[in-house]
Amino acid sequence: MNRRIDLIDLATTPEPQRDYVGHLSRLCDTLGVEHASYFAANPISGKMHGFTTYPEEWKSHYVAHRLQEVDPTLNSASRSVAPVDWKRLKRDPNYDRVFKDANDFKLPFQGVTVPIRGMFGEVGLLCACSSATDEEWTKLRRNIIGSLLNNAVHLHDTVMNSDPLLKTLSHPKLSNREIEILQWVAAGKSQQDIGDILAISSRTVEVHLRSTREKLCTISTAQAVGRGVSLGLIHPG
Amino acid sequence: MILVIDALNRDRFQSVIDDMFRLRARVFRDRMGWEVAVHDGREFDLFDNLDPVYLVALDDAYNVIGCNRMLQTTGPHMLTDVFQDILCGEPPLRSATVWENTRFCIDTERLKRPDSTRSVSSTACELMAGIAEYAYESGLTDVISVVDPAMDRILKRCDNAPYGYLGKTVQMGKTKALAALSDITEERIARIRAFGEITGNIFADEDEVAEALAAQVTDDMLPPYLLDYCNEQIAAASTLHEKDAALRLKAALVEKVRSRSDMRA
Repeated sequence: MNRRIDLIDLATTPEPQRDYVGHLSRLCDTLGVEHASYFAANPISGKMHGFTTYPEEWKSHYVAHRLQEVDPTLNSASRSVAPVDWKRLKRDPNYDRVFKDANDFKLPFQGVTVPIRGMFGEVGLLCACSSATDEEWTKLRRNIIGSLLNNAVHLHDTVMNSDPLLKTLSHPKLSNREIEILQWVAAGKSQQDIGDILAISSRTVEVHLRSTREKLCTISTAQAVGRGVSLGLIHPG
Repeated sequence: MILVIDALNRDRFQSVIDDMFRLRARVFRDRMGWEVAVHDGREFDLFDNLDPVYLVALDDAYNVIGCNRMLQTTGPHMLTDVFQDILCGEPPLRSATVWENTRFCIDTERLKRPDSTRSVSSTACELMAGIAEYAYESGLTDVISVVDPAMDRILKRCDNAPYGYLGKTVQMGKTKALAALSDITEERIARIRAFGEITGNIFADEDEVAEALAAQVTDDMLPPYLLDYCNEQIAAASTLHEKDAALRLKAALVEKVRSRSDMRA
């Protein structure tokens, strides 16, 4: 079993300098996929956010033909809980419409859409595609799916938090357990130690820490400690 | 076999969803005495409107014999709301790789009938293996399952013991409810499969199930003129999409007839 978890940091860059397309390109290189896109609508303002590494010609064609309104990799996939392999969308009445055009632009038809449901009922979509054969693609998808999930939520939270109103509304709500564990981390305790101190399994500690990192929009536990201190949730050291 | 139903294929399996809601009413209201809303003999709540994914255990005749509902923890789910008591009012976990399982149940009444070809424990194992394998394929690392103590014991008995619990056990109806944590790993899948003596693929092919369901009920339930019309449409379909649409129409008509005869009964 070899499941990679690569996570590329975005939130540490100040917002005006954030290069989302560059971020997606780095993600493609790291995960070994050809193109990646991210789409979401702001649940309050309704503003659409969309970033993609697709070539300019395809973007213009796509927008000119309003393919975003029918594209099953966005519309159908956004109602799924699990990541949707694009093979599953072949039954969609709009599949041919989008994929025939994409084929004319020599774009891959293998791909996956990772839907992330946010706290306000909004959905963020991270799409990745590849020209691999069926067999290679199945292997690649299995290998990177965990990374895609983690990157999707990180990207989604960062984009949503770039809206001042949403940032205020989504002030991180840590449970007492999560705060307690983060405080022990700040005191230099290992995951195993913390498990022993609190009489819970070390994996339970890990799940709480993962949740804490996600709520605080950080990649590493060290960053989470930093943010926890700056938000006044825990004491330093 | 395990059938996965979500927003993308739900309209093909209305009758399965309907049977699942009836099973949930029997289990969660009648047997466990939980305060769940039952309409017309079917238990469903607002989380069923959020496009969850259902894993449904079916027997060889495609009867619903067990089910489970899954939602992401990044968005609205039951621990943020109805099951808040379990977390003592604390905010729930949030992680893209952790999902929540609720409404896990098995149709013990049907499985204990003398003519049943399946046992309660083999069905429970198959459903648990299905959950773990589906979660694994979806890239998850862990799942949180809201269960009652009896189901918690079944998890443990089937070599699928949770590694931890969140919050506390609370009284709910005639029984209690608790939130159990399970890792999603190849090791856990192997343990459940070994215990349940499960070999090979357990997931149903959705096309096969949809066609079997359409063939199974229509012929005696639809009036002859509707049946002829539907079968003509299916035979005349020239594309996959057209055939699909024709099968859906037939299934929808059957569902109409079925729910009407139900109300008369």
